[in-house]
Amino acid sequence: MNAAPAVEVKDLSIKFGDFTAVDKVSFSVNRGEIFGFLGANGAGKTTTIRMLTGLLLPSSGSALVGGLGFGDGGRGIKKIVGYMSQKFTLYNDLTVGENLDFAAGLRKLDPAYAKKRRKELFELIAFNKPLSSKVAALPGGIKQELALAAAMLHDPEIVFLDEPTSGVAPASRARFWALIRRITGLGKTVIVTTHYMDEAEQCGRIALMRTGRLIALGSPEELKASAFPGPMAEIDFNGAGSAAFIAGLEKAPGLLELSPHGMRWHAAFAAKAAMDAALAGLPPAASAALIKPSLEDVFIRLVEGAER
Amino acid sequence: MNRTLTAFIKKELTQTLRDVRMRALLFGAPIIQLTIFGLALSTEIKNIKLAVVSQPGDAVFGRVADSFYASGWFVRVGCAPGEDPYELIASGRADAVLLAPKEGLARSAERGDGKMQLLVDASNSTKARAVEAYSKNIIAAAAAREYGARGEPALKFDVRVLYNPAMESSMFLVPGVMGMLVCLITIILTAMSLTREKEMGTFETIVSAPLSDAEVLLGKTVPYILLGLADAALVVLAGYLIFGVPVRGPLWQLALAALALVVNTVSIGTFISTVARNQQQAMLGGFMFLFPAILMSGIMYPVENMPKAVIAAAYLDPLMYFVRLIRNIMLKGGDAYVLWTNLGALALMAVFAAGLAYKRFRQTLN
Repeated sequence: MNAAPAVEVKDLSIKFGDFTAVDKVSFSVNRGEIFGFLGANGAGKTTTIRMLTGLLLPSSGSALVGGLGFGDGGRGIKKIVGYMSQKFTLYNDLTVGENLDFAAGLRKLDPAYAKKRRKELFELIAFNKPLSSKVAALPGGIKQELALAAAMLHDPEIVFLDEPTSGVAPASRARFWALIRRITGLGKTVIVTTHYMDEAEQCGRIALMRTGRLIALGSPEELKASAFPGPMAEIDFNGAGSAAFIAGLEKAPGLLELSPHGMRWHAAFAAKAAMDAALAGLPPAASAALIKPSLEDVFIRLVEGAER
Repeated sequence: MNRTLTAFIKKELTQTLRDVRMRALLFGAPIIQLTIFGLALSTEIKNIKLAVVSQPGDAVFGRVADSFYASGWFVRVGCAPGEDPYELIASGRADAVLLAPKEGLARSAERGDGKMQLLVDASNSTKARAVEAYSKNIIAAAAAREYGARGEPALKFDVRVLYNPAMESSMFLVPGVMGMLVCLITIILTAMSLTREKEMGTFETIVSAPLSDAEVLLGKTVPYILLGLADAALVVLAGYLIFGVPVRGPLWQLALAALALVVNTVSIGTFISTVARNQQQAMLGGFMFLFPAILMSGIMYPVENMPKAVIAAAYLDPLMYFVRLIRNIMLKGGDAYVLWTNLGALALMAVFAAGLAYKRFRQTLN
């Protein structure tokens, strides 16, 4: 294994007719990293991943995946990456064994090698049901783990997972993310898209996408620090009237972001002095506490804020 | 064989044969439909209701009328004296009425003018044509019997029915129905299997593997070509066992014809799947092709009787060539000219259809 990045993307763009789905995206992913794509539906996450797995050819720009480009129409890339698409990728009407046999056949794996890999992967995902189990009868979380195993049968260095946990129970989501960490522990690179903030927090770095553009890139901590250089307060009005105060707060100097979170409000400021001044007139029943911004705050500020 | 192709064949066959509904569609439906078509879609007309209006004491006419009933095609319908024969037909009590001349058949025949009148209900033209044909034969035979060689009024009909001497329509229909069923099943199965794969998202996994477009296409079609051939064999066997339809020509000709048809239909199914967005559309698209293809194939109506424009369109119908081929091979033992011209046309169409399907398939892949 060399020290070159697993994926290196420069000004990658793709157009469908007049529509630019991905617009000059540049980033690189290190080997052994968990690299996350965060963004709303239609932000270009899936399209980016489909290019990096050799399924779509870019309109312009370049990408090296495991050192390979698109010169051969993406076939070389397909050989060395694993890809688990957004939709369910196994056949419900086939058994576990039949699904994995087909996955092995698709990649022309030697039967003995496929059997060995199957055993290793079953250990990795702690799968202990018989091979003859129908996939339809398995719980959602286990299905997704099996789909991941099928995508890794050919032992790819880089694994792309497109919303692997959508529609899966929370406990199973946690289990799946533990599995992702085990995979990177083996030296593999995992590139994953998600809608869930708690999942994004577990990525080494996150690429935030909006309308085809990459608008922020960094570790969760870096994103928080760059989006919110100053302090953030969580205001709880404890049932007191908030409308008048919020209306005034919106005009306060040094306010970066003000957003409702259930019954509470999050207010971010450029500096501590600005916060102290703005919160001085808080109604007596209300209370304010200094909090660390979450990724959700970052998302609201960078993605939704840009749309307002 | 290519490991990927083997995996595809195994997977598609397992999926198709595991599904009870698919098994029924593949193996149950053809047998049932073959039986129904063979029995019910009979073009031979029987039980024609015939009334006879005679003059008293006309022995010759009485014998002619008797030979009608003796033929087995007609059943006797009573006719009260003085009843209006037109009324018998209008009311549907009779399909045909045979009328003797006023003076009696014996006397008018003596004068060299043995004319009887036959009223035929032609609201069902197929039936009317059958009645006409039967009657001419019966009257010709009766005239010969009554008057021998000098039988002047006897028109000399000499209709010899070849290959299907009993004029059993199952003989004629079973090979056609076989083509129709194989056509239907392969088109629908191929189109549905491909669109289902796209709808479910599993197609994404297939194309994410480092395969050539041809490998993907072959993987998704070869299993259905095999299933189509198995179905063709099943229908031939069922036709033999149920209706005694023989296979007079060599089996290899039959297999070659079936292969050429199935390559056509599977290609058409593939083409439909590249246009259809979901399984319902694929099903609908399949039938949009199937209905005209079946109607123009000559399975039920002779192509020669169709308007010129339709005949021109029928020449683009792979099923038409197949029906010609299979009738020739099964019933006549396979004539070299019929075999190679029709097989050639079918093969040419197969190459064209497969090429078109491959081109469309590649376009939609990317």
